[in-house]
Amino acid sequence: METKMINIKINGSDYQAPDGIPILDACKRAGIEIPTLCYLEDVSRNSSCGVCVVEVKGARSLVRSCTACVHEGTEIVTNSARIRDARKTNVELILANHPKDCLSCLRNQNCELQTIASDLGVKDDRFVRTKKELPLDTSSSSLIRDPNKCILCGRCIAVCGTVQTVYAIGLSGRGIKTKVSTYMEKGLGNVACTNCGQCALVCPTGAIVERDDTDDVFEELMNPDKVVVVQTAPAIRVGIGEAMGMESGSLVTGKMVAGLRRLGFNKVFDTQFTADLTIMEEGHELLKRISNKGTLPMITSCSPGWIKFAEHFFPNSLSHLSTCKSPQQMFGSVAKTYYAAKMGIDPRKMVVVSIMPCTAKKYEAKRPEMMSAFEHWKDKKGWSQDDAFYDVDYVLTTRELARMFKESGIQFSNLPVEEFDNPIGESTGAAVIFGATGGVMEAALRTVYEVVTGKPLANVNFTAVRGMEGIKEAEVDLNGTTIKVAVAHTLGNARKLFEQIEKKESPYAFIEVMTCPGGCLGGGGQPIPTTWDIRKKRAESIYQEDLNKPLRKSHENPHIAALYKEFLKEPLGHLSHHLLHTTYEKRGLFVWKSNGVEKKKKEMEHAK
Amino acid sequence: MDGTQTMTREFQEIDSIISKHKGHHGELLSILEETQLLNGQKFLSEEALNHVALRTGVPLSRVYNVVTFFSFFNLKPQGKHTVTVCRGTACHTKGSKALLDDLGLMLGCSKALEDGESFFTTPDNQFTISTVACFGQCALAPVVAVDGVIYSNVTTARLQKLLGKISKGRKKS
Repeated sequence: METKMINIKINGSDYQAPDGIPILDACKRAGIEIPTLCYLEDVSRNSSCGVCVVEVKGARSLVRSCTACVHEGTEIVTNSARIRDARKTNVELILANHPKDCLSCLRNQNCELQTIASDLGVKDDRFVRTKKELPLDTSSSSLIRDPNKCILCGRCIAVCGTVQTVYAIGLSGRGIKTKVSTYMEKGLGNVACTNCGQCALVCPTGAIVERDDTDDVFEELMNPDKVVVVQTAPAIRVGIGEAMGMESGSLVTGKMVAGLRRLGFNKVFDTQFTADLTIMEEGHELLKRISNKGTLPMITSCSPGWIKFAEHFFPNSLSHLSTCKSPQQMFGSVAKTYYAAKMGIDPRKMVVVSIMPCTAKKYEAKRPEMMSAFEHWKDKKGWSQDDAFYDVDYVLTTRELARMFKESGIQFSNLPVEEFDNPIGESTGAAVIFGATGGVMEAALRTVYEVVTGKPLANVNFTAVRGMEGIKEAEVDLNGTTIKVAVAHTLGNARKLFEQIEKKESPYAFIEVMTCPGGCLGGGGQPIPTTWDIRKKRAESIYQEDLNKPLRKSHENPHIAALYKEFLKEPLGHLSHHLLHTTYEKRGLFVWKSNGVEKKKKEMEHAK
Repeated sequence: MDGTQTMTREFQEIDSIISKHKGHHGELLSILEETQLLNGQKFLSEEALNHVALRTGVPLSRVYNVVTFFSFFNLKPQGKHTVTVCRGTACHTKGSKALLDDLGLMLGCSKALEDGESFFTTPDNQFTISTVACFGQCALAPVVAVDGVIYSNVTTARLQKLLGKISKGRKKS
């Protein structure tokens, strides 16, 4: 439907705008940026901050431009003494209750409140604090919430509820006691939170941030007894440049590798190697399910936020999830078994660090079942429970890696271009595109098609599953059998597909789900801000990197072939089962109850 | 009857409340309002809220949002009698702060009120003291409501008498 264009006046000049759009958007189209702390494109528009006020002719008072709309003849003034004064006062009132510890805040120099206060010329601290100091929420292994830094903009609640349909957080109380809370103040770690970190990505201040593990990693790097290896997810190479001051979407694979070497990592490997491995396992799992009439549709399991979402909200349908571990976890178990043995390294002295665009990966790495390498060695070496180690020891987000680079004085843009180490660092184009929504599906189809038909694929680009549409579908002809596939990003879209499955109305054989908008490149651990324009730029770079690769199908990766030949033997084989596949837990909504039980169980086991 | 059985019975009662209001506009408020009256202590237990969320499909965080927003809902057991002191401007100038302090001393809950708690229940569960921003009865300030009945021009001595009467009445019955 075509929207009617109307005539408006902004600061005395004539403009045209679609009828009924918010004043803020109309001004943006006219090239005038209006400051705001609560409005966020496609996510939140609740006029809570009061910074976006403008004058509208005929209005009784100043108008909040994020919610007030334009109509024929609307006359707007965006810059007057009255407006500047009102905006400044509103920011000063917010600052009254905001801690002044900016220098030690993780969001220092990347904080919208800080920027707006400076832009609006806030010079003194006029108003006294009226709120009581509140305790931090440190219950989550991925995210830390500091309610004192919260300005009640409502973005986190909007993204958690309307985009992700998780509703882990909401407002509580009223008036001065209003705050962002989890149910009964149980803390993020004790409610149905998926750890996706989209809340941290949209927070204008430091009220929700990733759990920072950089100090621990620095310490490991300094320890001469440890062999510290690093793996990098596909989305990091299109995000870290941005975090280091380069243009959005900069593709910096080689510089990133060089930077990681300079940080002191003994080996720099690539999660994309195990992304190729995931395709081998997951592709064969899909074919097995199709031929054995197993549970279909099968849904990808690379995105740990999605996995936890399914465990909380669809606990009775977990058999639809592929049993494949995510590439991060496959990397950990391969590194500490195959690679450790090959190089003669004691896996107990090996430290695997992941660089991920993701906060949920921090939680995933600490799931109790993610100790496959230890289980693999335990009996062979006669190790006791005291020797136990995780497959992946530390997970850092893109933002944390940027922090480490800065702390180490690395001039990122001046770094040379270097190559990953081998034998677990080489990957194909199919692995790169894991970083964008639709990528795992496309990568799987490239391999599955050739495995089934035995013929080389004429065109490896499955463009139907690319792009930023919420749910995409495609049909693929596999040797005469047509299968329907679907791709969803954001948990809200994933929920729609899962509800269809539970109603037994799903027409699909295979579904890819990514937790975050745009896929991993829009992950909760990526540089802030992450807007749709930025996501698109990162996606372009991802597909460019795919084109750059000489090999573009996972099964063509020679190091994957060697891994199977020397160690795993075959996809879905005995070793794969133990090292590369996993199980899921029916979690439900009342997490704090089972958390208690789990804790007791562990304590009892420990006592034994 | 043990705790689990009481809970199961309460859950059944909640289910019938929910089915009564299902599909009505603002159903959550009506459901919570009636659920709060199920136990004798006029409060919503965590188990009851869990059950409401589970059965209605309303997210837990939203249920919590509603029960913490409206002062009508209580998350802790309420005393048998409620004493509500008005802390509006008119009552304040007529000495309602002193009334509240004295009440705190009488019932042994000064500490909680100093800490800024919005209400306090005596350990014997007989009285809950709360404050309100304004009753709209400013001409009669200071105003105190005891079990829903508004008393005007209240003094500490009157309040003492009133509470004494209530306590005595309780002993008789």
